[in-house]
Amino acid sequence: MFKKILIANRGEIAVRVIRACREMGISTVAVYSEADRTSLHVQLADEAVPIGPAPAVESYLDMNRIVRAAHDTGAEAIHPGYGFLAENAAFGRLCEKEGLVFIGPNSAALELVGDKVRARQTMEKAGIPIIPGMKSVAQSPRECEAAARSLGYPVIVKASAGGGGKGMRIVADEKGLAPALEAGCREAKSAFGDESVYLEKYIEDPRHVEFQVLADGAGHTVHLFERECSIQRRYQKIVEETPSPALDPELRARMGETAVRVMKAAGYTNAGTVEFLLDKDRKFYFLEVNARLQVEHPVTELVTGLDLVRRQIMIAAGEPLGLNQDDIRQRGHALECRIYAEDPGNRFLPSSGRIVFLKEPQGPGVRCDSGIYGGWEVPVYYDPILAKLIVWAENRESACRRMASALDDYVVLGIHTSIDFLKDVVRHPEFLAGRTTTAFLKTHFEGWGEGGPDEDALRLALAAAAYDEMTRARIPGPSRAGGSAPGIPSPWTTLGGWRNGGTGSHGV
Amino acid sequence: MEFEFLVDGALRKVSLDKKDSGFVFREGGAVLDAEIRAVSENTLLILAGGRSHLVRIARAGERTLVALHGREYAVAKPAAEAERFERGDDKAHEGEKQVRTPMPGKVIKLCVSPGEVVRKNQVLVIVEAMKMENEVVAGTPGVVKKIFVAVGELVDPQKILIEIEPRP
Repeated sequence: MFKKILIANRGEIAVRVIRACREMGISTVAVYSEADRTSLHVQLADEAVPIGPAPAVESYLDMNRIVRAAHDTGAEAIHPGYGFLAENAAFGRLCEKEGLVFIGPNSAALELVGDKVRARQTMEKAGIPIIPGMKSVAQSPRECEAAARSLGYPVIVKASAGGGGKGMRIVADEKGLAPALEAGCREAKSAFGDESVYLEKYIEDPRHVEFQVLADGAGHTVHLFERECSIQRRYQKIVEETPSPALDPELRARMGETAVRVMKAAGYTNAGTVEFLLDKDRKFYFLEVNARLQVEHPVTELVTGLDLVRRQIMIAAGEPLGLNQDDIRQRGHALECRIYAEDPGNRFLPSSGRIVFLKEPQGPGVRCDSGIYGGWEVPVYYDPILAKLIVWAENRESACRRMASALDDYVVLGIHTSIDFLKDVVRHPEFLAGRTTTAFLKTHFEGWGEGGPDEDALRLALAAAAYDEMTRARIPGPSRAGGSAPGIPSPWTTLGGWRNGGTGSHGV
Repeated sequence: MEFEFLVDGALRKVSLDKKDSGFVFREGGAVLDAEIRAVSENTLLILAGGRSHLVRIARAGERTLVALHGREYAVAKPAAEAERFERGDDKAHEGEKQVRTPMPGKVIKLCVSPGEVVRKNQVLVIVEAMKMENEVVAGTPGVVKKIFVAVGELVDPQKILIEIEPRP
């Protein structure tokens, strides 16, 4: 087993990986950009290495700096998390060349599935059902026009290196094609460093159902059942769950077997996810392979009882899977809500700034994978995901109630988050009925606004604000200038006899 | 002690006074006897009507943020808010001419050049924040008078990106 692992990521996923390493007795190295000096992952790791300025291209996407950080600290392996370099085959190859273990798929498989176009070709040959679309990367706008016409609008622009909705655009008609291609290329370039895009037929109102797969180096491959990720906004998943309310045991078994066949066709190793679209007639199509640990991996962990990050590390270290398909069972129901720094009441605009107070929910079956803490300033440079709230319960109905109640207990003051929006989503009758398609938010939540205040609670809030003013007014000394909240008398005056400063103390 | 607060733009006149070992809170005809205890800088316990309410409270700039029972309330003071409104009014007045970004981010594309005639809602600038592209559009038809930013520049809502000479 490895003695030291470098985590080439930030935020909640870096924290998640650091925790797994700690439990396995592996030392951790965090890397951070100038904007992340105070980020949580930097504080939790055993070592932390600065790797450059705030923009990701000069830090988290800079392969050479990350490899150098691994060598300098003596790390033997690199966990890429998700996003950034996670699905970058060139990075996988660089690690191999530099004698570092990349905790992810082998670079040949990564290259194959990472190239969405080649992956489609391979899967088509292997007899896997795929969505109609261009057979190769778009070479010119004219070629796209012709392809779109023959597929029939609406079509969708996808980044060849894509994932997470970056670079994707739906095009309703020919007029919209050129701007969508341009924006798609630019977003793809900035997110993945590769601007190639292609077109696919757009399937309306599908469900998004994906299967988690684990494969060891000895060719042993199993699936860990599905995740339903249909609740999406702008191709960003916001609520995920397992089991999917749309599958019955027969369909589940068929999709699971197909997922395993997909990964075998790709020669895939380590943890990966096979994404399918499931249409209204319960026909499913291979969408793509996500060759990484997924944001939504915790729901699978909660229903199968398997630790995916630990498994990733074990497989990368060359250990056999030691699991048969029949050993893996789904138990109960799990839901995940993604907590984003964005303002749902104002077009979901990103929200950055200081978190002045934070209290994360707790309780039986409640898990919070978080990359934040009270007092921390959320930087503008990166993905807006702050944390994930995951719950487990015996069945879907209980899980929904548990999620609603945990969201009520979640307090983040100082920045806007998606929490209030999520509360309404998980209480919506259509959601509770399991009628979730990718059109759910568009159909039921367009123009969402926060409900009116509860007058009794608002009065208590006013009483609290009045009390706060009153007690604050009595406190002498520095006033509220500068925005820092006093509220508590300075210990330097109340403790008496102590002086501020002096030898031995230094600025922190 | 009397207080004036603004919540969602509505003025609330309330009072809070010591009474015996606790407090009495009044708003118009509504009266509430409460025991209030501050247990930490950000946590108050309000015992009222036979129930203890857990209240989280923090200051963010001029506003006091209060969370209880799964809801968050932003409480402002009228004086501070009046200043903000004044500035806001200025902005509303100027808003059509002076184009700003609604959130901090990086300018990744300028879609117009000085002297160009623009339609209302035409995309002027694309600002990237947290890896998502956001389009900043013209609030009025007109002519691009001046561009104050360059591609790659970090901008926030205070910064004027573009000035437009309105034309009907």
